[in-house]
Amino acid sequence: MLLAYRCALASERVTATAIEANEFPQLAQELGVWAVPRIVVDGEPRWDGAVPEPEFLRRILAAAA
Amino acid sequence: MRGWFAELERPVELVVALGPEETPRAGSGDLDFGGEMVRLCEGLAGLGQGVSCRVEHEPEGVPRFPSVSIRPDGRDAGVRYDGLPWGYELGSLIGGIVEAGRADPSLRPESLAELETLDRDVVLDVFVTPT
Repeated sequence: MLLAYRCALASERVTATAIEANEFPQLAQELGVWAVPRIVVDGEPRWDGAVPEPEFLRRILAAAA
Repeated sequence: MRGWFAELERPVELVVALGPEETPRAGSGDLDFGGEMVRLCEGLAGLGQGVSCRVEHEPEGVPRFPSVSIRPDGRDAGVRYDGLPWGYELGSLIGGIVEAGRADPSLRPESLAELETLDRDVVLDVFVTPT
């Protein structure tokens, strides 16, 4: 989660929200959240699990391309 | 925690948003999530002069309640936690406060350069659970 927050704090282009899956089960179900952390970029589920910073950035940029 | 908050390089404001809440998944407990969020954030604000807290009711742009916006220097930087951050996830909220309190970004220089190449806005949602 902290990597997403760091990106938002570093760039005005990025916003980052942690969403507690148990409290918002309808949204979690719509996005197929079965494992956490599940990272969703612009409303599209992208990947599950923590990754190192360089890979996190690579995946975000690829999703935004 | 007091030590971390004492080292904040700029003030951090927690803006708690309250409003209609979704029915949580069974087993989440019979909690007043909004009330607990207010108590939690007010408690965190009481741990250091650099952290403050205020409450808004159904503010524009917040789709889920309760929610807390973590704001460096009172500025909405797009950093939010939707739901009550309890258990293991309390660390995400505290980590967000510590990060927002840094004067300079803590990402690697290479990562900052990559973020500079973004030519459109990007919305990151990270689904978490307390365990």
